[in-house]
Amino acid sequence: MDPPLTSAHVAFRDEARAWLADHVPDLPPPGSPEAFEQHVSWERELHEAGFQALHWPEEYGGRGADVVTQAIFEEEYVRADGPDRVTVLGTNLLAPTLFAHGTDAQRQRWLPDILAARTIWSQGFSEPDAGSDLASLRTRAERDGDDLVVNGQKIWTSYGAYADWIFALVRTSNFSAPRADSTPDGPTKHAGITFVAIDLRSDGVEVRPIIQLDGHAGFSEVFFTDVRVPIDQVIGEIDDGWPVAMTTLAAERDAPAAPPARYERDLRDLIDIARAVGLDTDDVVRDRIAGLHVRVECYRHQAAATVATLAAGGSLGDGASVTKLLWSELERDLYAFGLELLGAHGEVLDDRAPLRDVAGWHSRYWYARAATIYAGTSEIQRNILARRVLALPKA
Amino acid sequence: MFPTEEQHALREMARDLFAAASPPKRLRALWDGEDRGRDVWKRLADAGLTGLTVPQEHGGGGGGFREVVLVLGEAGYAALPEPLLETVAVGVPLLTEIARLAEETPGGAWAHGWLERIAAGDAIVTVQLGGAPYVVDADVADLLLTEIEGSLFALTDFGAEPVVTEDRARRLFDAHAIVDSRSAVTHRPAILEPARDRGAVGTAALQTGIARRLLDTTVEYARTRQQFGQPIGAFQAVQHQLADVHVALTAAGGAVWHAAGAIDDDGPDRAHAAAVAKAAANDAASLANRVALQLHGGIGFTWEHDLHLWLKRGLALQQAYGSAREHRRRIAADLFDEESR
Ligand SMILES: Cc1cc2nc3c(=O)[nH]c(=O)nc-3n(C[C@H](O)[C@H](O)[C@H](O)COP(=O)(O)OP(=O)(O)OC[C@H]3O[C@@H](n4cnc5c(N)ncnc54)[C@H](O)[C@@H]3O)c2cc1C
Repeated sequence: MDPPLTSAHVAFRDEARAWLADHVPDLPPPGSPEAFEQHVSWERELHEAGFQALHWPEEYGGRGADVVTQAIFEEEYVRADGPDRVTVLGTNLLAPTLFAHGTDAQRQRWLPDILAARTIWSQGFSEPDAGSDLASLRTRAERDGDDLVVNGQKIWTSYGAYADWIFALVRTSNFSAPRADSTPDGPTKHAGITFVAIDLRSDGVEVRPIIQLDGHAGFSEVFFTDVRVPIDQVIGEIDDGWPVAMTTLAAERDAPAAPPARYERDLRDLIDIARAVGLDTDDVVRDRIAGLHVRVECYRHQAAATVATLAAGGSLGDGASVTKLLWSELERDLYAFGLELLGAHGEVLDDRAPLRDVAGWHSRYWYARAATIYAGTSEIQRNILARRVLALPKA
Repeated sequence: MFPTEEQHALREMARDLFAAASPPKRLRALWDGEDRGRDVWKRLADAGLTGLTVPQEHGGGGGGFREVVLVLGEAGYAALPEPLLETVAVGVPLLTEIARLAEETPGGAWAHGWLERIAAGDAIVTVQLGGAPYVVDADVADLLLTEIEGSLFALTDFGAEPVVTEDRARRLFDAHAIVDSRSAVTHRPAILEPARDRGAVGTAALQTGIARRLLDTTVEYARTRQQFGQPIGAFQAVQHQLADVHVALTAAGGAVWHAAGAIDDDGPDRAHAAAVAKAAANDAASLANRVALQLHGGIGFTWEHDLHLWLKRGLALQQAYGSAREHRRRIAADLFDEESR
């Protein structure tokens, strides 16, 4: 961490480091029901030790810690080789959304279970015909008494196959909003969307797993047929869910979501690969690794600036797109160079390949390929920067 | 972490001053061979900029390197042709260090005098470090600090032979042709390494300023130039190139700011941070350079248009205080020889 640390921060770091060193388990990726359950148990342990969602206010079970403390923990977690966390959609995306737009009752109802890893949440934004063009979503919800009745389909739902709840965007009015209105910020499409929490055990919900190209399961599509959702599960106002969704997306593109320690670790692995294949004295290889290191460093500074902005009570706004482009494209290029260095071993997944965890490297390589797609594609981030930061004109 | 209010104000002041004191018209006059004179330098001195880093007891502002990079960023933005980098970012800290070592080096007391003259705007410094073959602005400099085989020499009486340069407002002189009456002011190589880092980071700051100017100019052009019935800035292929420049510049800006902090704090990663900053700024600046000319189309390729004044300054600074490749070489040595450190 770059921002000047107080003695409390340093003490916390030491505490977290010591605890993690003793407790971090070695888990398989959460791509099967059994593995997923192991992840959930681990995260319960994390919670019991008081390390889950440190930055939440104390009244919701957090430590009321500042964002710097939270960032320190994420760094230490990576350094300790902590497994991917399956609660992130709840802790990192829904929670900030609830803090900004939820009611007190909603926070009391959901946050403690999120924190304790008792309920796992998934994110239901994307649809088959509404990905980048999110506002053209068609899953609809009609008011019937005190319920919304939901019909439609979500897709690419991470952890959807194992989750208990989904926070989703549904269309509640403007049903016949002209599809021709394809301008990215046209007012019509964005009105009439509602942000709602749906229990995946409700009648009429069907979850169909989708296997990812790297063989992992857990990804899914989710179908809703006359699913009744109590109106008090709407977050924000009916028909005015767009700003609520924007809060979620901003949280998703934030730096703390991608701790720079991760890339520092990966770069060290890259150096190990270069050594293992005898290319550590090759000038071209050294030049390219140094180039990647420069990007890791730049990202570290960007992440530190993000933490400082948030710590000062500010928000990143559209600037988060810079962060997202930096981390996603960095990881894509970093793992790809590792495979290039492995040469003929680059195809091999077993320990014939001269790398400590070659299967892990491949797995990270493929997931990095998705990083430029999920949380808003690179193209969409560039559109946002061009239009909203550089104020270039609309087509 | 962020610039403070005062640092912000300093930057704004520098921006306005540079824009007023050295508009493109003046750059072009210099290109046509006009003498620089001391008017602009005097204005910089009056605003406290020449003495920015001079310790307060010698009549300066006592500013640190963070202030330096903010001011140099604006100097790049204006393509200011005065040797602020050489004087303020490199020369003054060297002289200050020499003064600090006064007990051991006879030159100490003498350095105080120079610091006072610099703060007052009466002296311009240029430097030649690390065997650089050319010296910038030797014609206007009163003092040349030059590194020869690990020792630093201070020359006041030197002849300089100009070389023909691409950026005619950035004047270079053949270092080998310098005739001198040399007397070493210090034999401590330890003060030279930080000086080189300051040069690299200062150059990186100039480059980010130049690149920001190129980006702003090009964004402005893309908003107004119409083709196919709409501004070219509405085309996504154009938008994405500009967005990439913005991303690269933001990233490089963070690296420069961090390196400035490492210099101020004399942190253990100072040299490494400087190499990262220069490499990142070089990359961002070369992307900005390429995109700016591309998106200006034909008009950008003309002598009349001001764009090339920035394109060429940007190009010139790619090599100053080490190319990206040289800095990456240094970084690779840090990375691969980590265990032996
Ligand atoms: C691993 C993974 C996990 C995911 N997890 C979730 C999740 O949990 N919940 C969820 O809701 N979604 C999730 N997603 C979905 C993700 O958000 C979408 O895939 C993404 O927003 C892109 O939408 P799309 O797939 O429909 O692609 P499309 O929108 O069809 O885009 C296809 C291509 O066209 C480009 N394109 C589209 N529009 C434009 C434009 N205006 N300008 C330039 N280029 C354009 C895109 O950049 C892309 O390259 C996940 C995706 C992946 C890969």
